[in-house]
Amino acid sequence: MNVHDLALVGVLSLSSMTPIALTAVGEVIAERSGVVNIGLEGILLISAWTSVYAGLYWGGWPAGYLMGLLTGLLLGLLHAAIAVYARGDQIIAGIGLNIAAAGGTTLATRAVWGNYAQSPRVPQAPPSITIMGQRVSIMVFAAVVIAFLAWWLLEKTRTGLRIKAVGDDPRAADALGISVEKTRLLATVLGGSLAGLAGAYMSIDYLGSFVKLMSAGRGFIALAAVAFSGWDPLGALLGSIIFGFGDALGRYYSITSGATANAYLYYTIPYILTLLAVAATAWRAKMPRALGQPYKRE
Amino acid sequence: MPEPIVELRGIVKVYPDGVKALDGVDLRLYPGLVHAILGENGAGKTTLMRILYGEIRPTRGEIIIRGRRVRLRSTVDGIRNGIAMVYQHPRLVPTLTVRENILLYFHSAGIDPGELEERLRRAQEITGFSAPLDERVEDLPVGVRQRVDILRGIAAGARVLILDEPTTNLSPIEVEGLMNAIKGMKREGIAIAYITHRLPEVMEIADTVTVLRKGRVVASEVDPRSLGEEGLARLMVGEVPPPPPKERGKRLGEPVLRIHGLRARGKIEVYIDELVVREGEVLGVAGVEGNGQDELVAAIVGYGERLEGWVEVLGRRNPSPREFYKIGGAYIPGDRRKALALFFSVAENLAFLRYAHEGPALLTPGRLVALYREVAEEYNVVAGSPWAPVRSLSGGNQQKLLVGSQLHMKPRLLVAVNPTRGLDVATTRYVRGLIAGLASRGAGVLLVSTDLDEILEVSDRIAVISRGRIAGVLSPEEATPEKLGLLMGGGR
Repeated sequence: MNVHDLALVGVLSLSSMTPIALTAVGEVIAERSGVVNIGLEGILLISAWTSVYAGLYWGGWPAGYLMGLLTGLLLGLLHAAIAVYARGDQIIAGIGLNIAAAGGTTLATRAVWGNYAQSPRVPQAPPSITIMGQRVSIMVFAAVVIAFLAWWLLEKTRTGLRIKAVGDDPRAADALGISVEKTRLLATVLGGSLAGLAGAYMSIDYLGSFVKLMSAGRGFIALAAVAFSGWDPLGALLGSIIFGFGDALGRYYSITSGATANAYLYYTIPYILTLLAVAATAWRAKMPRALGQPYKRE
Repeated sequence: MPEPIVELRGIVKVYPDGVKALDGVDLRLYPGLVHAILGENGAGKTTLMRILYGEIRPTRGEIIIRGRRVRLRSTVDGIRNGIAMVYQHPRLVPTLTVRENILLYFHSAGIDPGELEERLRRAQEITGFSAPLDERVEDLPVGVRQRVDILRGIAAGARVLILDEPTTNLSPIEVEGLMNAIKGMKREGIAIAYITHRLPEVMEIADTVTVLRKGRVVASEVDPRSLGEEGLARLMVGEVPPPPPKERGKRLGEPVLRIHGLRARGKIEVYIDELVVREGEVLGVAGVEGNGQDELVAAIVGYGERLEGWVEVLGRRNPSPREFYKIGGAYIPGDRRKALALFFSVAENLAFLRYAHEGPALLTPGRLVALYREVAEEYNVVAGSPWAPVRSLSGGNQQKLLVGSQLHMKPRLLVAVNPTRGLDVATTRYVRGLIAGLASRGAGVLLVSTDLDEILEVSDRIAVISRGRIAGVLSPEEATPEKLGLLMGGGR
């Protein structure tokens, strides 16, 4: 690989990084409040579908992005209702969403577009710039800005302090009259909304259409990025860049090698990278203390 | 007396499970005075204070602050009415810094964070405490956390400070610092509610005392100096009926439990110099909860850490839990959910409990049913079927199952913790009879209980545990309420 190709991989990884970064940053916020959402994969998939639908029939890419955001918000609300208010098992709720999303979007694709594989293309793409001949959406830059905003929210604002307090010691927060439920609801909805944006990015922005099971594990990679980050939005951004680079590297080799069997091997790079990164970073000590635990006042 | 800052009138609190924690309590707090609220565990002290702080709502009754009737919907209302509460275990977020914890409080109090430094300086002047602002709370010792908790309340302008058993986790030097801070706050005209069951502290710091027993006020605004520790102890514990006559001149056999120089650590550190239980006697261990009972029992049964010294059960030094059961020990934990698998059947639970004593055996349904029949018949367990899940049994039957499973093994040493807590009168009497009967047949019993009636009724000797030490060993005749209350409260 020469310098030009390396730079090309770098540009490709910007696009690959974006959905993981948006999802992981959102999940950092949710997990800091004590709610884990492993249904991110499902949110990505459902919002990818709904945003294509809105993009095709309602108002192009702006309607698509709005729809993606709204879908993520509602699914975040659903998860919060189960995890925070009904005090259900957060892992089971997430698994349920993932399974429902996989089946539901495939079925909906068949119902609306007459085949199980994919939707038509959304005609107009969101604004972008071109670097080395590659399209780079403005959403890529938005994702970076959002990561910094999330950091600012958690570290510099009153709301952020409250989110961290309910995630680490809900009893102490409760003793100060901070509503554990409302704070967790807010954080979970924020996390869901960002995953919704990420889903929309994948379909209407990066690919231009919905493809069956197109999230391809990115929701889980985002969860890995959260653990890698030590529950910090900027760390999550860094993790996403690493995973995005692995993804881009896989695509680069699969194109240049030309051998189809090898191509599949190269596609495994980001997943193996995820495994290694998570294994190498034993940051459990930084995990929010009350993560995954429903709160009930004595 | 000056005008009260806070007045509670006729406070009643009934919990959703029907327990009446408070039954018409009146209380007044005055500026610049320390009002001690004295009572045993479960007397309702903490419930009353949580109501004043706005954390829980009273079922009935009025709260009047500075002459105005208020309704406290949450702790935010409590804080904004100038009430600060320092819990026994400070409610600070451990992963945040001291500064962030203070900011959280200021947010709830509606105070501009920009005033933090200035207000904190003032609070430090009043209390004599200082706080490392940029340290994470979990890196600080418990005593310092409590100081942070007090400081942030005072800095936020609290005029009423509630201290819930504040000396529990403090070293003697830290206690002195706390007493000095209280004097400083008194000079500022801050009203202090001091919840405790420790009599010497009341004598030292309190200007006036209200005594609660079982959710009622038994003495209101009395002068601690005129009553003395004995008088307060009698009010706190109540008149205990004389114990029923015991067999005189019971012949005691060999020791079944000996403890020597034992140092153990759990929530608190425990040191037991000498303690012996002989065949044929019940040794009662009385004390307020959390004074080292759990640590003592854990060290005897073997699942706790023994740092120094030894425990000898039936001739074996420092047995593991497995050995403890194997050589003839039996154990009834204070929380039966620790011993019973609630979703498993009665027969399966019996098999578990028996396994600890006897080791592996084939668990055929026939054997399980036979075991169930023996135990259920002998100990009046009403279960319906051997295959009924334990959670479908009433609390009393669960307890009889647990007690029965242990006594069925014919143990030579029984360690029982609060064996009748939460049981009705008839079952209580039945279980106490079983325990006394076991001793009269020649086994030794260590009965750890926070229920003084139980201790007095069943024990042949009574050891009082206080702050991890045996404060004294008495015969039932010597054990007057005054004396027990004094020893339990750490008096002399």
